[in-house]
Amino acid sequence: MEADVGSRYEIPRTAEFLRARAYTRVALQFPDEMLKDAPAVARALRRELSSGGGGVRVFVMADTAYNSCCVDEVGASHIDAQCVVHYGHACMSPTSNLPAFFVLGKAPLDVHACASSMLECSRKGNKRILVLYGLEYAYALDDLRRTFEESCKSKSCNPEVQYADVLCSVMSPSSSTADENDHPQSSGASCHVDLSIKSDVPTYLNNRCSMECPSSTHKYNLGGVTWNISAEEKMEDYLIFWIGQDNSAFANIVLTFNKCEIVRYDAIKSQLSTDFSHLMKVLRRRYYLVEKAKDANIIGILVGTLGVAGYLHVIEQLKEVIRAAGKKSYTLVMGRPNSAKLANFPECEVFVYVSCAQTALLDSKDFLAPVITPFEAVLAFSRGREWTGEYLLDFKDLITSEKQEVTVATEEARFSFIKGAYVEDNCTQESMEQSETSLTLAEVTEKALSIQNQNNDAVLYRGRAMSSIDYLKARSYRGLTGDYEGPAPDSILVGRTGRAAGYNDEKTQSAQ
Amino acid sequence: MVKVTVDELRASMDNKHNIRNMSVIAHVDHGKSTLTDSLVAAAGIIAQDAAGDVRMTDTRADEAERGITIKSTGISLRYEMPQEALKRLGGERRGGGGSSASYLINLVDSPGHVDFSSEVTAALRITDGALVVVDCIEGVCVQTETVLRQALAERIKPVLAVNKMDRCFLELQQSGEEAYQAFRRVIENANVIAATYEDGGLGDCQVSPEKGTVAFSAGLHGWAFTLPDFARMYAAKFNVDEARMTERLWGEHFFDPATRTWSTRPTGSPTCQRGFVQFCYQPIRQVIDACMTSDDKEKKLWPMLAKLRVALRAEDRELSGKELMKRVMQAWLPASAALLEMIVFHLPSPAEAQQYRVETLYEGPLDDAYATGISNCDAEGPLMLYVSKMIPASDKGRFYAFGRVFSGTVATGTKVRIMGPNYVPGGKKDLYVKTVQRTVIWMGKRLESVENVPCGNTVALVGLDRFITKNATLTNDKAVDAHPMKAMKFSVSPAVHKSVACKNAAGLPKLVEGLKRLAKSDPLVTCTITETGEHVIAGVGELHLEICIKDLQQDFMSGTEIVVGPPIVAYRETVLARSCRTVMSKSPNKHNRLYMEAWPLEKELAKAIDDELVGSKDEVKVRARVLSEEFGWDKDLAKKIWCFGPDATGPNMFVDMCRGVQYVGEIRDSVVAGFQWASKEGALAEESMRGVCFELRDVVLHADAIHRGGGQIIPTARRAVYAAQLTAMPRLMEPVYLVDIQAPERATGSIYGLLSKKRGSVIEERHRPGTPLVNFKAYLPVIESLEFTERLRAETSGEAFPQCVFDHWEAVNSDPLEGGSTAAKLVGDIRRRKGLKDMMPLSEFEDRL
Repeated sequence: MEADVGSRYEIPRTAEFLRARAYTRVALQFPDEMLKDAPAVARALRRELSSGGGGVRVFVMADTAYNSCCVDEVGASHIDAQCVVHYGHACMSPTSNLPAFFVLGKAPLDVHACASSMLECSRKGNKRILVLYGLEYAYALDDLRRTFEESCKSKSCNPEVQYADVLCSVMSPSSSTADENDHPQSSGASCHVDLSIKSDVPTYLNNRCSMECPSSTHKYNLGGVTWNISAEEKMEDYLIFWIGQDNSAFANIVLTFNKCEIVRYDAIKSQLSTDFSHLMKVLRRRYYLVEKAKDANIIGILVGTLGVAGYLHVIEQLKEVIRAAGKKSYTLVMGRPNSAKLANFPECEVFVYVSCAQTALLDSKDFLAPVITPFEAVLAFSRGREWTGEYLLDFKDLITSEKQEVTVATEEARFSFIKGAYVEDNCTQESMEQSETSLTLAEVTEKALSIQNQNNDAVLYRGRAMSSIDYLKARSYRGLTGDYEGPAPDSILVGRTGRAAGYNDEKTQSAQ
Repeated sequence: MVKVTVDELRASMDNKHNIRNMSVIAHVDHGKSTLTDSLVAAAGIIAQDAAGDVRMTDTRADEAERGITIKSTGISLRYEMPQEALKRLGGERRGGGGSSASYLINLVDSPGHVDFSSEVTAALRITDGALVVVDCIEGVCVQTETVLRQALAERIKPVLAVNKMDRCFLELQQSGEEAYQAFRRVIENANVIAATYEDGGLGDCQVSPEKGTVAFSAGLHGWAFTLPDFARMYAAKFNVDEARMTERLWGEHFFDPATRTWSTRPTGSPTCQRGFVQFCYQPIRQVIDACMTSDDKEKKLWPMLAKLRVALRAEDRELSGKELMKRVMQAWLPASAALLEMIVFHLPSPAEAQQYRVETLYEGPLDDAYATGISNCDAEGPLMLYVSKMIPASDKGRFYAFGRVFSGTVATGTKVRIMGPNYVPGGKKDLYVKTVQRTVIWMGKRLESVENVPCGNTVALVGLDRFITKNATLTNDKAVDAHPMKAMKFSVSPAVHKSVACKNAAGLPKLVEGLKRLAKSDPLVTCTITETGEHVIAGVGELHLEICIKDLQQDFMSGTEIVVGPPIVAYRETVLARSCRTVMSKSPNKHNRLYMEAWPLEKELAKAIDDELVGSKDEVKVRARVLSEEFGWDKDLAKKIWCFGPDATGPNMFVDMCRGVQYVGEIRDSVVAGFQWASKEGALAEESMRGVCFELRDVVLHADAIHRGGGQIIPTARRAVYAAQLTAMPRLMEPVYLVDIQAPERATGSIYGLLSKKRGSVIEERHRPGTPLVNFKAYLPVIESLEFTERLRAETSGEAFPQCVFDHWEAVNSDPLEGGSTAAKLVGDIRRRKGLKDMMPLSEFEDRL
């Protein structure tokens, strides 16, 4: 049992990494489904580490505030951890403060079946194959490559196949990059560790966005894997061969490269599937949400991460875009959103969810207002921008791709596909007029409260509110106010007893 | 060819008393465009002989191809009134017409098909008079009634043209008396409609042949006459007063040539005939017969023509049969002369019409400078221009703003203030100040630039298309206190939807741009997007939609390939009975409970809410009174309405029936928000609800305000509403058309057969006396109608012609909660189309203690 844990959770490699950097306080982050192994892993790791010096304290973290695919830096800093070891599925979003070590796990893969499926694909189309995979299959890649080449030789064909690499198994935050370069790397790591260490954050942030490398190649980096294609080629020239489950990482690939031909090899069922209509439906639905967001006046920015590098930058940028569009934004931190939490802000007509790429897509059917990604928000709130089919999920791509292009101020009214008519957007000048003094909020509030609203229903339920003050003004109940006009309060009475699920007096009623 | 130059045309625009703005309106296929040709011919724009064949105003290729008018087309004609005719007009002519004998007629030819009736609405707004064309055989049809009603509501004075006279003579070979009775019925029917919808401000709108407000025409052959025309011919012969003669040519006046005496009833003598028959119908019949049958023209025809003082050109004398007849009739009774005279004599000039139209046109106070300008038709007054439609220009994606100057003068380079439909006086919304790049007038297929256009005329403006969405009021840029003109009301609404997508994903921006342009070009098309991200175009009917999609692809997307989905029909969700029990839902934190019930609203009440007779904006007491008096509601209940929904105006209600519960006022907004949400997307298939009233029976709330906030209450209210809906016999409702079918009697069988196959029901069957035609009125579900038109045409070999107009919502007669029923299947289909999961069971929404 213990030995099994040691290999499955790569205890020796982890220990080596920790020893090499001489960390003394280490947080182990487990997703819920691996939590049952956590004590064993922690025990094994402690034993391994104590053999080489000791003094290392290991903490187990669970129930992360956002999503288990991201490194929970806030949780780790509660225990002053110097490093996080992340187990299980990871989105590989860059961290902002703490270095992280990823143990990706090993899911079983029938290498031969997979190789023959690849061969089959290469025969059918004449496109070159690009092999992408879920990180849990990264360990088997060398095997697969060998098997595939062998079977090619035996069948005497030579299809062009490119394999993506795993980005890294160690991630360093932006601030500590400089000294990372000095650290000698543990040679035992089978993954391409050096890659992440050398690349500092600017390139890190850039590398999805057609950055011209000297070797005239485009470098792509998505969901923890990375690959290069030469500058003359487009992604559409490749057939993407995905090994793994139909999960959010795969959804990311399909949505981002929605014009490419993609096949998925299901490692559990050992079969190919090419039907992604459900994901294309998702894409169309996102398109609808963008159109809907264009009509919104009040936007809530949901902070869905406190770790992914650049999130503050993106939030600032979003605020700027929203302000420039003459709309109001409110920033909200609420952990994982659910319908009850969002309904506490009925004035927000749309929410922008700033989070890591793999949790960004929230299907918002049950939410009072739609939830969109930062990329969609930029699409929706910059006038004159239209959806061209490209799709970015990672907000770090947005930082660089968005060159704050000067949109030509067309004076033509905007066409709303939700209302099916041309609508007038609020003048941007109007919002500019407000001086940025400390009294701004008070002034605006005063102004808004003094304006008599003719139709409260329209403000409340048809999105006519311009700010939450408008909304508050239109409500029939505005909380406890100073000028209470009702009759004197009642004398104190004895209330109900029992649990809310059924108070005592009610139980007796139903019994009767 | 063109006898009139632009300068001449422009010059006549200044003389406001000699302008007639008129539209030609009728039922489909009654011959508007053909008749219009005769008028255009008279103005010298097309040759007289081509009149009837060219259809000058059908400017689009598809219009010519299908033989129907799709877009209304404006055309300015200059008409020289002969001196003798002018003399007759003499006393009647008002104002300072002076010695000028030339009249400017701004004519708008409009489509007759019900799918394009928005075009008629737009045409009527910019004209003062209407030439109502009616087929003398088919008589007054649905669409005739609709357009006439619209015209009267806009205070447009009608004159009537009883068209297709040639059919009486050639096709049906009717006797004089038969024909007379048919004509009389047509005129009577038209007058009945006019009387029903008469507007006080317009004065007498009854038409009668004796007054000269009815013309008898044969558009195809280019001839027409009015009774005064004939009276004039006979007046000299009989040596009687022209007016007296006119009277005798219509109604109960009989003449016996044997005794040469008039009487007011038939004497019984075989030679005694009605005046109309004796003096109008028979002579025409003789001439036509002579043309068609007589081989020996020398003996019969030429002397006859000589007697009538009709001179034929030498080459025309060589013709025979129909060609000859056409030429002869055109020479004898030219359509243009009769019609133009009627138009000039009996339709008002802008100067006259705007005096009484200002009340219905202007939104602001009737004593401000703008209202005065309109009422006086003052070219020097402040500018008031109404843009009634946007016409696609040959330059792809650009539009001319077509409208009418009601006051002042619009010139190239004028800086104008554009007030859109959402503009509120004093506000900044939907308001632009822009410069008119060019002013243009329409001469049939050609456009001519002019420097300026004074009030009373129609005009097309260049350079404003970016700022005008569908329609707008234009004033001078400094006229900040001007109010806009009243928005047009359309008689139909979009009912058929189809999704469009581009074949190639890269074409999406083009599609989006195209849809925007399409929305602009047609006031009644709506371009929306579904929750699943598909673009949907909605049109009035199938034909309308077809034309829209064609325009979209060819004109607005420059031919990019698009994929058109199958027709989509929007449904509604309703309930049939009161909830079988009070349902309860708990909030996510289990600390709050809402108890609700649902029951169906009265059908008429839902309709009244639609028509804004009852609504959220009403005073509570007023609303309570209306509800208790007209719909038999309990007065207390009527006062407890929290809101309407969806969108705070829809045909569903939420009523608070709680008694003595604390904090209910606090959660009101949250509950209403949940209700709005749920009534927009019902529990069955996420279609809007219709005609459902929800009652809040009781609530249990946590004593701590933080635990009964919006986050807890809104989702709970939604679930409770769903639970109440599902326990109250929920049903789907489908839209139903009122179909009007006109067909020959022998097609009756196949019409009934097809209707019953398509779940339709005939509600009226009416034989047209004197004709072999039958009119059916039937209800037909919209979803079934989609192929109905084609099938009907096929089965009756093109003789039956249906017109569909959305009429009402009808509950689908099966239980959607029962597995395998039609409604359940329908729900499944809709949910699948919308990409939804299967329908949730009641237990998802209802909680138990």
